[in-house]
Amino acid sequence: MIKPRSDLTAGPAERLTERMGGGEDEAQAVTRARGGDNEAFRFLVERHSRDVFRLAFRMTGNEHDAEDVVQETFLKAYRKLSAFEERAQFGSWVHRIAANCAYDLLRARVRHDERLERTEGPDGDRTLTVAADDPSPERLLAGREVRRRLRAALARMSALERSAFTLRHVEGMSIAEISRALDLDASAAKQSVFRAVRKLRMALGEQAQWGITT
Amino acid sequence: MSHLSEEELVLHHFGEAEDAAEAQAHLSECATCRAALEALRRDLAAVPMPEPPARGEDYGAEVWARLQPRLAERRFERRRVWAPLGLAASLLLAFLLGRHWPHEAPVAAPVSAAARERILLVAVGDHLERSEMLLVELVNAGADGQPVDISTQQQYAEELVGANRLYRQTVVRAGEPGMASVLDELERLLVEVAHRPSSLGPADLAEIRSRIESRGLLFRVRVIETQVREKEKESTKTAAGTKVVS
Repeated sequence: MIKPRSDLTAGPAERLTERMGGGEDEAQAVTRARGGDNEAFRFLVERHSRDVFRLAFRMTGNEHDAEDVVQETFLKAYRKLSAFEERAQFGSWVHRIAANCAYDLLRARVRHDERLERTEGPDGDRTLTVAADDPSPERLLAGREVRRRLRAALARMSALERSAFTLRHVEGMSIAEISRALDLDASAAKQSVFRAVRKLRMALGEQAQWGITT
Repeated sequence: MSHLSEEELVLHHFGEAEDAAEAQAHLSECATCRAALEALRRDLAAVPMPEPPARGEDYGAEVWARLQPRLAERRFERRRVWAPLGLAASLLLAFLLGRHWPHEAPVAAPVSAAARERILLVAVGDHLERSEMLLVELVNAGADGQPVDISTQQQYAEELVGANRLYRQTVVRAGEPGMASVLDELERLLVEVAHRPSSLGPADLAEIRSRIESRGLLFRVRVIETQVREKEKESTKTAAGTKVVS
């Protein structure tokens, strides 16, 4: 069952850097990995894979895409290790790379949304799903209507808006962190979050009449 | 102070307001804005996001197992790309010469000639397919008007340039102006992509896109790729027939 992450929306979200705290062993691994030690890089991959997967899944909403993002993220990290500043947190750095990879994938996917929509039919929803505690016909009907509205809202959302919103709303990244991760200036990141919120609210604004309460 | 705008409320909710103290002071006095903020919070709490499927303790090791060969691949990629080029180029030359002077060319053992032709066709077909994929990526890049990091595509382009040069030179020597022209155009684009800055803005991307589209490069690459693939199929059928007969 999937529930809204109200714990993250009610107040300041858990900071990415807090979750991705490094430590001395990690700093040593980074130094060794930069020197070409693959075992050290393995340590870093194994340590951060699950967090990177979670971020990738939340951004792409799709398990297969998320796995691709995980692989692409660590390949990019491996290639760019020489550019990594050792004073920084490896976890935060690799998260930014993951966000960027997922954003790239979303941009490519948005271009094919119409085709996917046709393939999956009107009830297919690759990105957002709605929990339904009570499977009564009315509830199911209402849930379907909300899904339809959310799908419409997502269709109106650009890859940038979707990415920025997920990073801010779910991952708790600051606007500054989002702008770094997605190679944007801060005002563009801010505007993207705002536009995404507006589109979702427009879609959700009518849910009361369908009997959905939160 | 007038009421907070929707944007200001969103920024305040996310802790990104430019003047948080001022917004907070207003909220403490204004019931309308407090209600609006509460409504915003309720709406955002209602947005369901997909919960990631659980990954076990071994997930990191699984990721590494899939990743490790690709790291090794990356390290040796350049060497692998170049290794078959000499063979492919000589085969290409033999193939093209064979097409022009089939009756005058020395008759090699039939199975051996067919095998060489198939290797060649696969190599050229793959090169054209990889080039086509790159062109498609470049045409589609930055469709939302945002800057794009093309460092991966640049690395790819750099690798394709070497192969393309060899094929082009061979084709020119064999007197195939049509194919040579496409490979020449492709090569110039690959070189240009490889040497651009890794982050491209909308104008740069539009320029590359226009260059690919205005000269029909993608279409022309697809046409010769199709021709090569058709030839490859024929060659495979012939080889299968030869095996049955022998």
